[in-house]
Amino acid sequence: MTIRNTLQDHGQRYRPRMACLKKSEKVLLEMQDPKTGLKSQPQRLVITTIPHAITGEDIIAWLADRFQIDTQEARSFGSMLVALGYIYPLQDHKRLVIKPDSSLYRFQTPYFWPTQQWPVEDTDYAIYLAKRNIRKKGILELHEQEHYNRLHKWMNHKWDFIVMQAKEQYRAAKERKKPDRVVFDCQERAYWVVHRPPPGTVTAMDYGLDRQVDPNSDEAITPDFYERIMIFTQQSIMRPRVKSSVSIGALVKYCATYNNHDPFLSRCLPSNPWVTDDVTYWTLNMPCVEIPTKMRVERWTFSFAELLSDTRGRDDFRLFLKKEFSGENLAFWEACEDLKWGEAASIKEKAEHIYKTFLARGAPRWINIDGKTMEVTVKGLKHPHRYVLDPAQTHIYMLMKKDSYGRYQKSPVFKDTVKKAICPDEHRFSCAQLEQNSKKRRPSLSPIILRQMEQEQRAKMAANIDITQLCRFTTPVPHLAVYSGFTDYPTATASPSLTFLAHTPACPSPISVALDSTSVSERRTETGEGEGEGNPAARAQVGGNVSKSRMALSLRRLLKGGCTPGTMFASLSPKCHSAASTSSRIQPISPDQPSQAPPRRTGNFFQIKVDIPPECRIYPIESEDEEEESRVASRGGVGAKEIICPWESLTTQNGTG
Amino acid sequence: MTSRWRRSVDELALRGRQRGECERAQEALGRVTSCFQQLAASLGSSADGSFLRDEMDETRNLAQRICRGLSRRLLRLLSDCGPAPSGLEDRQVLDCGPAPSGVEDRQVSERLWVLFLSALETFLSDLRKACDLIGRFPLRQRYDRRALVNTGCVDGVVAVAARVASVQAPWLTLEEEPTPDLTNHITELEAMLSEMQLRVPVAFWSVEATQPAGVEACGGLEGLEGLQEVEDSLEELMEGEIVSRRPACCCLSCVG
Repeated sequence: MTIRNTLQDHGQRYRPRMACLKKSEKVLLEMQDPKTGLKSQPQRLVITTIPHAITGEDIIAWLADRFQIDTQEARSFGSMLVALGYIYPLQDHKRLVIKPDSSLYRFQTPYFWPTQQWPVEDTDYAIYLAKRNIRKKGILELHEQEHYNRLHKWMNHKWDFIVMQAKEQYRAAKERKKPDRVVFDCQERAYWVVHRPPPGTVTAMDYGLDRQVDPNSDEAITPDFYERIMIFTQQSIMRPRVKSSVSIGALVKYCATYNNHDPFLSRCLPSNPWVTDDVTYWTLNMPCVEIPTKMRVERWTFSFAELLSDTRGRDDFRLFLKKEFSGENLAFWEACEDLKWGEAASIKEKAEHIYKTFLARGAPRWINIDGKTMEVTVKGLKHPHRYVLDPAQTHIYMLMKKDSYGRYQKSPVFKDTVKKAICPDEHRFSCAQLEQNSKKRRPSLSPIILRQMEQEQRAKMAANIDITQLCRFTTPVPHLAVYSGFTDYPTATASPSLTFLAHTPACPSPISVALDSTSVSERRTETGEGEGEGNPAARAQVGGNVSKSRMALSLRRLLKGGCTPGTMFASLSPKCHSAASTSSRIQPISPDQPSQAPPRRTGNFFQIKVDIPPECRIYPIESEDEEEESRVASRGGVGAKEIICPWESLTTQNGTG
Repeated sequence: MTSRWRRSVDELALRGRQRGECERAQEALGRVTSCFQQLAASLGSSADGSFLRDEMDETRNLAQRICRGLSRRLLRLLSDCGPAPSGLEDRQVLDCGPAPSGVEDRQVSERLWVLFLSALETFLSDLRKACDLIGRFPLRQRYDRRALVNTGCVDGVVAVAARVASVQAPWLTLEEEPTPDLTNHITELEAMLSEMQLRVPVAFWSVEATQPAGVEACGGLEGLEGLQEVEDSLEELMEGEIVSRRPACCCLSCVG
């Protein structure tokens, strides 16, 4: 059993928010018990004595005794109580930890407890800062001054109220006796240290987004409540089970593998940004970085899922597949991911696209899946939904995992990457440098900008095809262009020929396979009404040995002719037919479609024919334009839609019929 | 025409008096709410008791009376004046007299409005907290006192209560009503808040502070200088220890 990729949670799991608060309160109340609670002592100040001070070591001892835990854990627990604001230190009030010595602490009054249903208001903070301003005669700490200025700007409309209220509160506090006044001031100060911590400190109050419903409140018992319990229990029963020995073994293996890679359990090179405020680690590990780090490359060897989920790893893998001329598998997998996670409105279009590019007979980047899966997929594509390509995707995934992944790890591409990977030195910051780092913290790039950068990168990749390799049989297609319908290429560039990928280095066509399975025979018996424009041309081509050289279409033609990329790719089939005849080879799916042109080759479904027409030569693509266009014109506009998807059949029929 | 001029002058004078009333009431409200906060801060602590809670009831009753009166008068003030001068409406010229002072009028009234609503919101949040705390620490039985948190406060809040009692507001002698229940009180205030916000559209952001930032620090608190010296030394006392250096790694091991 393997532990699946834990990164892509997509928020499906319940995340409690600060359930610790209610529990801490209970513990705190227990501490108050005169018999079994904590013993307090008076705190002696110069002018007065204040009761109810407790020492750090007493707290730790009490916790260890009450919960039967060891001192170290009691100390962490105590520190948590302090960090949450239930106990505050009397000396060194800015450091919210428990010191296991005689340093003094005091309990916070319930009015200042951190509870989720009382949001911490900026107005209150502004009043507090104004009060401090009055007391300190204008000498505030740096972060307080910054907050003050910011609040003055944003709360300008109620600033008079704030100042007035601050003065009133100051005067009201003066009415109390001196020890109580001191206590109240300490309480208030401690409250704001917890909720508006000075920069560079770790705060315990970070809990993410607010929930609509208080997770700690009692739920009303209604029939709906019980119904949900029933559904939950039923689903639990239906869940598949694994032996605990197996699952524990998997956990142990996971922990052992990832232990050195966990940034908190072990070192993080060069340094953990959350601790030192230095973002080198993140810049070195960006998704599209040129040279990855050694740790990252090592993670790619852990599992195939790791390799694919890391953008850089995927790029490396893609490069390897490109050299092996089997990039269509990865392209198909990525296309399926895009379909699964993309917008609902574009599902149909994307599914169509994928079919035309990867699955149909004679498709430019045909992938090799078994007959049964193909049948199931093709049937499902009639009513495409998000997960329609799952079986095929899984098949291809396993194929890549079992076959290409192993070869990738032994390949020169990978070895080269490993050699070039960097291992940065560890940072050693002094305290002053850490302070400086914390002041220099800046927010990261906005996600909008990141997305734009990603898109630019993709466009660059798509447009960046090696011209010397241009051959309609050999040049790999930038997969992104294929399935994303990406048509924003600059027309001025000379390069882009969108030819398709060949399987083997020997430059054959990937798609010269005859569909001989039962599904094919099914299709053959179909009577056609809907092939539309494709048909007449197809019929015309039947039987004829059309060993014409195929034209590779240039991008400009694509843009001029306004063909869909699918159409264009279809016409790139190397089967030496003219563009129109491709339609015969891409058989429609539905049973009621005719197969006008029987496949030219019979034979095994899985046969890959090496069949390069004699006229094959490396064309400079641009010159094909005029020839191709004239041919198109001669056909009288037929062939504008070469690949017919069966779900379009009706519309085309209506169009032409 | 002269009579119309006279009428508008009278109106201006009346409105000026009303505004003065509102300002004094606002100060009184500020006093009462800050005292209420001092009292509420002792809830659930060792200083909690029936005396404290009675005082709290008195205080919020007073606050409630001030709020009611203030909201009524402010509503009257702002609805009389008509909507903010936008240059498009003529009728306000009839209402508020000559345009320039009408605008100033309006601005002052809006300022009072914003101040009152802010005070109301702050008071409301204090009330909610108090309600919650009283629910959590009901002192019905004797042994409930064991649950109280030992915070170091022992004093009753007698002086604070006295301060509350000394608050004067223009109409307080007139309206005498029994203290509402805490939850009802909260509901009433919430209703008042939403009603005011719906009835009169006031642009909060158009109100500006009358004093620059930090002015409160430069003295101005009469008769407190002597005490302040002592205060500072107390604070120094509390902060006895030097703030120690932060070590290279995170201080808190596993928190939250």
